Amino acid sequence: MSEFWNPYAPLDARRRRLLGAGAVLTLLALWSAVAVSGLVSPTKLPAPWQVLSAFAYLAWNDGESLLLTATLWSVGRLLVAGALVTAIGIPIGVLMGAAPRLNAALSPLVDPFRSAPVVALLPILVMWMGIGEAMKIAFLFLGAVVYLIPMVRDAVQAVPQSYWVSARDLGATPWECIRHAVVPIAMPRIADAVIVAFSVMWTYITVAEYVNAREGLGQLIQNARRFSAWDQVFAGIFVIIALALATYQGMLWLKRRRYPWETQL
Amino acid sequence: MSAPAAAATTASSKPQISVVVRDIVQEYPAAGGGVTRVIDRVSLAFDKPGINLLLGPSGCGKSTLLHLLGGVRPHGVTTPTSGSVLIDGVECTGAHDDSVMVFQRYANRPDLSVFDNVAFPFRLKLWKTRVAESEWRQRVGDMLRAVGLSDKAGLRPAQLSGGQNQRVALARALVLRPRILLMDEPFGALDAQTRDEMQRLLIDLYRAWPCLVVFVTHDVTEALVLGDRVIVLSSQPARVADDFEISEPRPRSAEWQRSRTALALEERILNQLHASPGKGQVRVTI
Repeated sequence: MSEFWNPYAPLDARRRRLLGAGAVLTLLALWSAVAVSGLVSPTKLPAPWQVLSAFAYLAWNDGESLLLTATLWSVGRLLVAGALVTAIGIPIGVLMGAAPRLNAALSPLVDPFRSAPVVALLPILVMWMGIGEAMKIAFLFLGAVVYLIPMVRDAVQAVPQSYWVSARDLGATPWECIRHAVVPIAMPRIADAVIVAFSVMWTYITVAEYVNAREGLGQLIQNARRFSAWDQVFAGIFVIIALALATYQGMLWLKRRRYPWETQL
Repeated sequence: MSAPAAAATTASSKPQISVVVRDIVQEYPAAGGGVTRVIDRVSLAFDKPGINLLLGPSGCGKSTLLHLLGGVRPHGVTTPTSGSVLIDGVECTGAHDDSVMVFQRYANRPDLSVFDNVAFPFRLKLWKTRVAESEWRQRVGDMLRAVGLSDKAGLRPAQLSGGQNQRVALARALVLRPRILLMDEPFGALDAQTRDEMQRLLIDLYRAWPCLVVFVTHDVTEALVLGDRVIVLSSQPARVADDFEISEPRPRSAEWQRSRTALALEERILNQLHASPGKGQVRVTI
């Protein structure tokens, strides 16, 4: 117990997993106990096994998988929006990080949106773009890109000046310095920004699919709620959490593989 | 003698170089308004290859002077406040193709291998057009051998020690075959033993590629071990307090370093530094 209050004491992987799994199981046990005790009506809080059977029903019923279709739709939207966020947001962030004048001009247009109620923009987007796919993609894009751009800019600005000075001295043009001496070193942090952008999009997916979605996990939850099928609502939420977690872990793994040299700069 | 005649005589002998620092004054805006003079009317001339040590207490403005020579200019301040730097008679205001600088922070790209770090300049337009790929590959290989990193060519900087990283930086500078090599306390962050090794390496590299080396240090021993010429700067504002040559051939033995000549030079330097008021520090090893 002497190591309990020591933030620097390493914890071995086995113990860490054990503690994590223990907490999750404890919560599940508490939830089950509440469900069994009848303290809360099952219409308000379905039991874990009810959620599990709802999951099984959604996963496979009558020769089709509602869950798979919904997941593919949601993942598809996320990927399209993610591609746009990356392709548009990274260059803008890099330019802002590289040129203080661009940053001064553009940051008032970008930074405030990080704390803006993006959800409140949804009706406006509907008004502008209708209720089709374009609106949903645009909403996901906006929600994530306002996080990505400032993070990419900060990543570029965090590169120590010595790299720039040294490259300049070797005869690099300013643009060559950015391309060959600054951006390559900022890449791991830029990758972090992309990971955050995808996490943000997973949290917004239900909102994006709130209006007139025929398919998608958000629509699935929305539909279940309409029929007070709370077990299905819970199942849908857990699926989104699981997918978001898998995306995060997968991207983190990819990032570490691609930038194994990343150190604490 | 007229200028063209002078040029003709130098062209006939071995490759010559001329770097002239003329009446440099450098001032920075001070915290409470007004200005702080960092460099006060420094004039120096270098007209042949050699290792020139710029020695002064920490914070005396010697790095600023070196950066002026290399064309590294800070932002928001006019540099120099007055005076000029002439390379081969031409006023130099920015980075110069003939001079390369080695910094204390070696600025190696963490994502590139040792080989690619040394080859880095050849990715730039300036050198790509001047040196063919087959040639620079050859040069990088030779340079890695010269600094003793041939077997580490595929490693990344994080897998190297501080001394080895500085070897990479040195190789990257010399692979361009500069006529002027500027070194800004390059070994200042290394431990004593590694510093000795690096000093010996520099002596070997210089023998293979004699160029005009201007080497900034606050280490009196380093100046005596390396310098063909030692220029002592006073602390703020920097003025030339002393300027002398050491004829003892390198490498200079430990016996020589303990000899009466060496001790007298050390005494002379320390006296000059103590004569100038200021708070900067110098280092004497041994």
